Amino acid sequence: MTLPRRDVLKGMTLGAGSMLLSPILSKMQAFAAGQAVAPKRFVFVVESNGVLPEQMRLAGMKRVTREDKQGYPFVDESLADKQLPVSLEPVDRWKDRVTIVQGLSGRVCGGGHSNNFMALGAFGGGRGNGNGQSRKINGETVDGALSRELPGIFPHIGIGMSKRIEDNVIYNISAIGPDRPLPTMVSPSFAYSNLFGSVAEGNSRDLYAANANLLDFMRDDIRRVESRLAGQEREQLGAYLETYETLRNRQSRLNEVQHTLRERGPVASDKYTSAVEIDRLDAMFDIGACALICGLTNVLTISSAAGIRDFDVTFSGLGLKKDKHMIGHGSSDQGRTYFELYDMIRRWHFERIAEFMAKLERVPEGDGTMLDNTLIVYLSDGAEGHHSRCWEWPMVLLGNLGGRLRTGRYIDYPSYGARGHRTISNMYTTWLQLAGSDREFFGQVDTNLAGIETHGPLEELLA
Amino acid sequence: MIRIASLCLVAACGGLISLSALAQEEARPNVPKYASVEESRKVFDDAVQPVLMKHCSGCHSGSTQEGDLDLASLDPDMKAGTGGGRWAMLKKLVAAREMPPADRPKLSDAEIKAVTDWIAGELKRSGRHFSARAEFANGNKVPHDKLFDPNFKAKFDSPSGLRRLSPEIYAANFITAAGVLAQPFTAAGGFAFKDMGAAKLDEPTTVLLIRNAMQLASGQTGFSLDGDKKKFANMVPSQFPPLFDESKEPSDAEIAAAISVQFNRVLGRAATAEETLRFAELWRKNRADAGAVVGTRATLAAVYLLPEAIYRWELAEGQLDADGKVRLTPRQIAYAISYGLTDRRPGPGLSGAAAKGGLDTREGVEAAALELLRDPKVSKPRIARFFREYFGYGHAKEVFQDEKSNPEHDATELIKDTDKLIEYILEKDENVFVELMTTNKSFVGNSVAATLKKQRADTVAKYRDKYDKGLQEGKYTEESMPFKVDRRWIPGRSVYEAYNLGDFPDPGEQPVDLPKEQRAGILTQPAWLAANAKTDENHAIFRGKWVREKLLGGVVPDVPITVDAQLPNAPHHGLRERMKVTEQEYCWKCHTLMNPLGLTFESYDCFGRFRTAEPVLDVEATEKNVDKKGKSLGNVTKAIPLDTSGGINDFGDPSAEGAVGNAVELLHKIAKSERAEQVFIRHVFRYFMGRNENLGDGPSLQYAQKRYRESGGSMKALVAAIMASDSFVCRVPSADEGR
Repeated sequence: MTLPRRDVLKGMTLGAGSMLLSPILSKMQAFAAGQAVAPKRFVFVVESNGVLPEQMRLAGMKRVTREDKQGYPFVDESLADKQLPVSLEPVDRWKDRVTIVQGLSGRVCGGGHSNNFMALGAFGGGRGNGNGQSRKINGETVDGALSRELPGIFPHIGIGMSKRIEDNVIYNISAIGPDRPLPTMVSPSFAYSNLFGSVAEGNSRDLYAANANLLDFMRDDIRRVESRLAGQEREQLGAYLETYETLRNRQSRLNEVQHTLRERGPVASDKYTSAVEIDRLDAMFDIGACALICGLTNVLTISSAAGIRDFDVTFSGLGLKKDKHMIGHGSSDQGRTYFELYDMIRRWHFERIAEFMAKLERVPEGDGTMLDNTLIVYLSDGAEGHHSRCWEWPMVLLGNLGGRLRTGRYIDYPSYGARGHRTISNMYTTWLQLAGSDREFFGQVDTNLAGIETHGPLEELLA
Repeated sequence: MIRIASLCLVAACGGLISLSALAQEEARPNVPKYASVEESRKVFDDAVQPVLMKHCSGCHSGSTQEGDLDLASLDPDMKAGTGGGRWAMLKKLVAAREMPPADRPKLSDAEIKAVTDWIAGELKRSGRHFSARAEFANGNKVPHDKLFDPNFKAKFDSPSGLRRLSPEIYAANFITAAGVLAQPFTAAGGFAFKDMGAAKLDEPTTVLLIRNAMQLASGQTGFSLDGDKKKFANMVPSQFPPLFDESKEPSDAEIAAAISVQFNRVLGRAATAEETLRFAELWRKNRADAGAVVGTRATLAAVYLLPEAIYRWELAEGQLDADGKVRLTPRQIAYAISYGLTDRRPGPGLSGAAAKGGLDTREGVEAAALELLRDPKVSKPRIARFFREYFGYGHAKEVFQDEKSNPEHDATELIKDTDKLIEYILEKDENVFVELMTTNKSFVGNSVAATLKKQRADTVAKYRDKYDKGLQEGKYTEESMPFKVDRRWIPGRSVYEAYNLGDFPDPGEQPVDLPKEQRAGILTQPAWLAANAKTDENHAIFRGKWVREKLLGGVVPDVPITVDAQLPNAPHHGLRERMKVTEQEYCWKCHTLMNPLGLTFESYDCFGRFRTAEPVLDVEATEKNVDKKGKSLGNVTKAIPLDTSGGINDFGDPSAEGAVGNAVELLHKIAKSERAEQVFIRHVFRYFMGRNENLGDGPSLQYAQKRYRESGGSMKALVAAIMASDSFVCRVPSADEGR
């Protein structure tokens, strides 16, 4: 038997909106005054179609496949005297801050062309969904969870590229809870007006202004209706009204930081509406970096056609004719094998990541730069391949979060089920703990991993 | 984390039926008026705090804070503090005599009055609005006998209210392209049915609503540019384009016309003069600030966001009748019926009936609901959803069943079969409850049987010659030949085997008759059995709990937090043997409500296959099952005899109580019980009302049962009767807490 907890909870959360902000504000003030607490930021770059584990291998390193890896020792090597894999060369400058992590499994997700929300959620989609690819949202995703730990003006910003140029917003990989997707803005103009509209010109400014009018109008309208109601219905409507007040407050906070937005915001370009997918994605990397620099958020997810709707995007901007689905099935294009094409496309992403890092590095923060307090994670919603099975899930971490991470490493965990094997749940728990959470677990337990430590962080990554 | 739920565990363990509902019958207290916080505080200090100190603070303050309630820190100033919700809850529990728990000294009537009066008065003084009717998550707590006693009189109490649209209603009316418009809503959770309770509305939800509204408004007003000239898509109503003209401001009449179109499209009614004025003002402001295109779209979007578009509007707004209730307006009734059956706004039939006074009487409403129910052109997804949610067999898909023992287990197909069986029973629409409990008919892989059978026949035909030749030449033996029926990988095999059949029935033979002694109704369908199972074995406790709550209308308390609910890990014993641990006195007072019911289903395994023996681990044979080096070659099982006996106890219908030999007997017994039929009707009522019943709903439930019986057990008649009942069409006005 359960008693309705709503009323109790409601009593507890009245006025929570204002209380929520105060610790962060005081943290920010403390930081501005040169005191302790450094900010923490997380950036996820999620590319569709899988990351082939053999392409993350260091030059000259022999890596046996999963099947014959039983008992293969745990690998933890320094990158210092090694050459990075070809697709990672663009970030070579920061080699001491790069960690390549191999061997984590995510079997609960099921696999397929995309693991959709399950990839960052480390949960399953239930049985009976065919070959994985479920779009079910059984819980929060790790970026959603982090946004609760590190709330900013926008708790979470999701941006990215969809193969469909007509889309403004899609729901593909991020969520704040069960059945509660977080949006991914895939139109640069739309993202720009949402984030920087208060200082924008033209269409973006129009959208921003109309949105402000809409919020005011709705607030007044709901108040008008509310005044006629009593008891339960008044309470119900009050909740709706409160949401408009919260949004209006956000609008005010955006107005307060106008000066920063004007100074450091992105410059709109014709890439915003380009028919070429990499142009739009390039613009999104820029918008994302500016959003971090202007202090709009601490958690950013950049989706490169992630999710089942878009995974077969064509990178026409790189001169390719074949889409990623065909490449995944082994097609060659422009004289390159599928294997080379994988590297080529990923390398383009790392060029953008390098620019992103350079932008953050130019902004002083505390004793160092913004980059020092930012962790960038690169992975694929398609885990380890085109038809993923999630036996392994290669990831690249860039940044050390103020020295909390041990970086400049190549780490390979023993294969699925072997002693010392770890899962993406362990990785996500690691990030949450870095963000200040005391959680010991994230996602869904893989019940087939008897005797494997599925809880707790990846100690090997921590400084 | 707040665990207020545990507050009442001990209380609930004490008795099957709580007193909460009875307490509703007590006269509403005269709410004291406190002019100031000092005045209220004085009453608190003199009359309330001593009671709390004496009876409550032992468990709810200091080092023990049961249910995370710390009375010492709960601010008695509800206006300044944030404790109002908790006080309202406390009032409810004390008034319902649920607290203190049964094993503690009771409060006297005077003490209860002192506490509840003061809370009511202070809530009123605070001017904050806490729900006056906190619903009990478990509707079974309302005493059954009183609900169906025609001589029992209780005050009518169908609360006026706003209910946020269900996700399904929002999707049916607004979401046309998946992935572009997101579903903003989720079910409230915690109730028997998804569409119950006060669902949440929070900031991320509103962000999605606004985004969707803008998207919808853009979609409604699509245009392409021909030079500077806007060419609107054909579907754009002619009233919209004048508002998009940047150079020329439209006339007031043109603006009003556009607003009126949008109101009709989104809300199904015209805008009032006052609304037209306000929207015209918004449009002018938007046009000035954001230009004609964005400004107009934002204005049109606002209509999608109006409270009327977000909530089901079931408010008592008219005149009170002699019993203190208000009839909903015909329009509200039309919406309630239409949303209740179709998820969609009322069509011309219902709207017409509403306009012509057809919904002003019980007979009229019942006839209109029946007409909609009988209309084959209108899809009524809510009916099928009721049965899915009530029986819960869709959960079979969520249970991760052991891949080793039945690798082809296809929960989706089994679920479809049960869907189809229910559809079949509803098509006949006779003795629906009895049929649901007892039919031995079943669909078997209905959606794939024909295709798979044909595929198999085609393949065999294609290779027939080759196989025959191979057999003759000794290349194959009968054993090694593909497509022998007992080979594991035959497509669909796991489906028909779930029904203990050797193959799919032939096309046109569905539904088939399964042996009467093996199957009786939905609870013996593989989908239901698999949904109430664990990874690799049956879950007799789930099954028993389901029967206790959904068929017998009983209350099974939650597992106390002090109990580690685990059966011993002893794979060499059968389930009944391992469940013996639940027969200790402390466990048994709850488990007696479940085990005797659930263990009758031991005739089936966790995939729903009928069986006559239970496999357990054969320890000796397993020890011997090793290779030359002594390495285990895996577990060996042996079959032990099954005991499927059980019985019905603590039901309240003596004719149905007593021992049974197996689940089939159990279900036939339940099917004959009028009380079980009433419990089923209570569940139907809850689902279509979107709330749990209260004692004031007695006459409505009795009317529903009467119509169900008169119609020979028609589900359509039952639903129409519920929709025509006072509970559905009348409301009691809301008042702030402490009326």
